[in-house]
Amino acid sequence: MKPRPPTLRDRRRYVLAACAPEYREPDPKTLYYTVLDAATALYGDAATAAMQISVMAGVRGYAILRCRRGEEWRMITACATVTSLNGSRIALHPVAVSGTMHALRRRIRSIPEPSDGEEVMLEGEPYCVRQCSGQNIDLIKKSIKNQKTLYFTQKDREEF
Amino acid sequence: MNFADACMHPYPHGDSSVRRLAHEAAARGYDGIVCVGISPPPDTPVRVIPAAVVAGKTFKDISVQVRRESRSADLILACAGDAGLNRALLSYRGIHILKGVHAAPRRAFDHICARNAADSEIAVDISLQPLIGSRGAARQKVLQCYADILRLQRRYGFRLAISSDARSVLDLRHVRVIPHLCGLFGMEPAETTAALGTVGRLLHPDMPVEVLE
Repeated sequence: MKPRPPTLRDRRRYVLAACAPEYREPDPKTLYYTVLDAATALYGDAATAAMQISVMAGVRGYAILRCRRGEEWRMITACATVTSLNGSRIALHPVAVSGTMHALRRRIRSIPEPSDGEEVMLEGEPYCVRQCSGQNIDLIKKSIKNQKTLYFTQKDREEF
Repeated sequence: MNFADACMHPYPHGDSSVRRLAHEAAARGYDGIVCVGISPPPDTPVRVIPAAVVAGKTFKDISVQVRRESRSADLILACAGDAGLNRALLSYRGIHILKGVHAAPRRAFDHICARNAADSEIAVDISLQPLIGSRGAARQKVLQCYADILRLQRRYGFRLAISSDARSVLDLRHVRVIPHLCGLFGMEPAETTAALGTVGRLLHPDMPVEVLE
């Protein structure tokens, strides 16, 4: 189909969402279906279709989503109800809304590769320490099944 | 405190430490958090208020727990039960917030409870956890319950408090998103802002004006 002229196109808004944990790099296709499911569960099929949600990009710690202008807060509310992606826990927090992706890309802060450090024992179980940005550390339980993560800070670790 | 989360469950009840929750809460726009079952660490970016959750089948069970916990906790949160228990709890000035109304039996929070809450200045908690974490019929039931509470609040004027019931940093949501989540059951943004400030008003209630000379 021939593209519409710019004056006949729908106006869009782009939303930059920060992922938590910050080292997650969301796959755009999986994130699209997850957000679409959340929006459908919250607002129904008709309202979700009117939002015209799509996921433009996913980089480490961030995702850029697109929707029709005027529907951005509904999409952000739907994103707030996303709790898992591919079976692991995630949260999406809105950072900025803009009419261009270029403006949002400037807001993306580069997140360093998480470094897995030494092992610690907590309540008799071994945890791997993952250093995040700032003072934050994530303790990832070393097991094959039921992988559990604890969210601590360096000061907490000093008090173990 | 303008924006305070009314209930969080740090480690060992949840998977995040108090300090981590406080850092995340500061990043999400809060200036205070109520944490259950801990003593607040000294160096946190937001104020951490120690609290206790009391629950029981009868009013006697709860009043014993309230007397014990009020020595160490600044805020006492009581879990809602049936209508009779809720009426008794909301007439008792030892508790500050009634929580878990969405999980209580149907019609457990009625107009008499609403009047008692307004008279005793006890806040009723709106937990965001069931709105975020549940789907389908379960969420619809919670939305109906909250809309019902809101209708009574507008009639009788008792206080509402908003909590994330977070057991993890991943359960926290930004302060800017909360009015939109509360808008799902008809709460106006101004009402949401007032509800987020309830914890500050519970800790520092309005006192009669004292004339100094």
